[in-house]
Amino acid sequence: MLKRLNELNFVIGLFFTIVSLVLIADDIFNKEKSGDLKLYTGLSFLIFGLLMIIIKTNRSSEK
Amino acid sequence: MKLTLADYLVILVYFAFVIGVGFIIKRKIRSSNDFLSSDRHIPLWITSLAFISANLGAQEVLGMVASGAKYGIMTVHFYWVGAIFAMVFCGLFMMPFYYGSRARSVPEYLKLRFDEKTRGLNAVSFAVMTVFSSGISLYALAKLLEIILKWDFDVSIWVAASVVMIYTFLGGLTSAVYNEVLQFFLIVLGLSPLVIVALHDAGGWANIKAQLQPQFTHAWKYMGHADSNPMGLHFMSLIFGLGFAMSFGYWCTDFLVVQRAMIAKNINAAQRTPIVAALPKMLMPLIVVLPGVIAIAMMTPALQSKGYSIPAAETGGIDYTMTLPSLIAHYYPSGLLGVGVTALIASFMSGMAGNVTAFNSVFTFDIYQSYFVRNRSDRHYLWVGKIITVAGILFSIATAYIARSFNNINDFLQLVFSFVNGPLFATFLLGMFWKRTTGHGAFCGLLAGTAAAAITHGLTIAEGKGGWIAPLYPIRSGMGQAFIVAGVSWTANFITTIVVSLVTKPKPEEELRGLVFSLTPKQPTKHEWYLNPVLLSILLLAATILLNIIFF
Repeated sequence: MLKRLNELNFVIGLFFTIVSLVLIADDIFNKEKSGDLKLYTGLSFLIFGLLMIIIKTNRSSEK
Repeated sequence: MKLTLADYLVILVYFAFVIGVGFIIKRKIRSSNDFLSSDRHIPLWITSLAFISANLGAQEVLGMVASGAKYGIMTVHFYWVGAIFAMVFCGLFMMPFYYGSRARSVPEYLKLRFDEKTRGLNAVSFAVMTVFSSGISLYALAKLLEIILKWDFDVSIWVAASVVMIYTFLGGLTSAVYNEVLQFFLIVLGLSPLVIVALHDAGGWANIKAQLQPQFTHAWKYMGHADSNPMGLHFMSLIFGLGFAMSFGYWCTDFLVVQRAMIAKNINAAQRTPIVAALPKMLMPLIVVLPGVIAIAMMTPALQSKGYSIPAAETGGIDYTMTLPSLIAHYYPSGLLGVGVTALIASFMSGMAGNVTAFNSVFTFDIYQSYFVRNRSDRHYLWVGKIITVAGILFSIATAYIARSFNNINDFLQLVFSFVNGPLFATFLLGMFWKRTTGHGAFCGLLAGTAAAAITHGLTIAEGKGGWIAPLYPIRSGMGQAFIVAGVSWTANFITTIVVSLVTKPKPEEELRGLVFSLTPKQPTKHEWYLNPVLLSILLLAATILLNIIFF
């Protein structure tokens, strides 16, 4: 897991996954005027983040 | 605009990640080449996204949204005329020489092709420009945060500069490039929901077209006469000034962007870097031009009930620079507001880090190592590179404070940069494709081009600017003036370089192999079709022409 921090796509995926969780949690606890925009954005970020994490780059090409 | 805990959390996560990338990359830095030029091992997808991200600074993001609101869909010319063609040319014709010559920087290529004085002139002017650009970017960020979030100017300056300094000091160019890719995704994905929701609110593109004057929704139709379009430009000025002199000068010779292609793993990847980058660049208007057009449509009588307007400037009229921040404030709820603000911060930091890393490479390799301390250990130059990184950031901070005290210095510096950058492409074009071009010719051409740019600006006047020699030739828009200045300076450089080259002695042909097109053996391409730079370029150009026709 720690070794994958050397892969940029993993780092980007991790970033968007964390941000998506912040957005989804904020949507659950703080509905106000936002409608579903925050939830949909959070879910889109989550899908993108997980896809970036799953993608396995050629390790030799990173070196 | 008032931020909540979720917004601050997003900003903190972003800062933690960009600094974290610096720490991860730090373990791989062992030599000055690792630190200053990434030792040529970066994968294509990263170099390509970094290639456009280095240009995706604040001026691009805020500036293009503002232009979209001010000039309408004509702003797409900065992409479909002023970028794609030059990027393709850079990949196909110029990267083989930059990469194949093993030069570590654009000024070093000039040394190999011409002589030391041409390299020195380019290196010094580039180093000064990048460090001032970085400072202006920092000033603009702090000013924006002061206006929209009421954050303290000094705190914003020092926090943003410190974050950039930490990750560039730790990981050098690789760290900056990796963060540029993260920033690219953040800007694109962070602003996409804004475009979707604002477009929906405005009733879709068909309704926007119905509400706005046709000059705002056609890219070419009203360019037959300068008085009939919002930019005040004739199409010939646009094609020669922007489409040729300015865009080729920037995308093909500015080390800030070219450096991203020079760190690719091999020559084929270096060639494909600008070409692959041209694809997202072609689609960028969806993120940075369309919001401006939507914003101005929202202010038409039929859509005023939606309650959105672009803020007024202190001097009266519309403050177009505030278009994007005001759209974010209007449409984004808490949490998402943090994403929008972080995207803005990312664009400023991306621009600043790009300038700082280009500055430290050029200063270390082309000024320090060439003129001051030669033949020292690699460890010595690695530490010089690191010290120069810190110095570059401190200079940027000083520039930001100078810009705060003398607001006009921004305009002045941008103007001086355009004088230096405008003619540069003529030097490279002749140097790469005409073996008779001499070092004396290139040097005199650069000086003549810069002088011609200054004189043209002094004789033309647009929107109250220029005309400091004599306001002989009025131009309707500042943008039109910039295109004419670029065109004249390019022509002056081109002619002077040819004339001086013809009366001075050229370098022997054996010294020019690998540096000049006609003296370099052509490598047969044996790649699959999707790796072939020529085929990719043809597809890209066809798509660009098609887009121009659709939005004609």
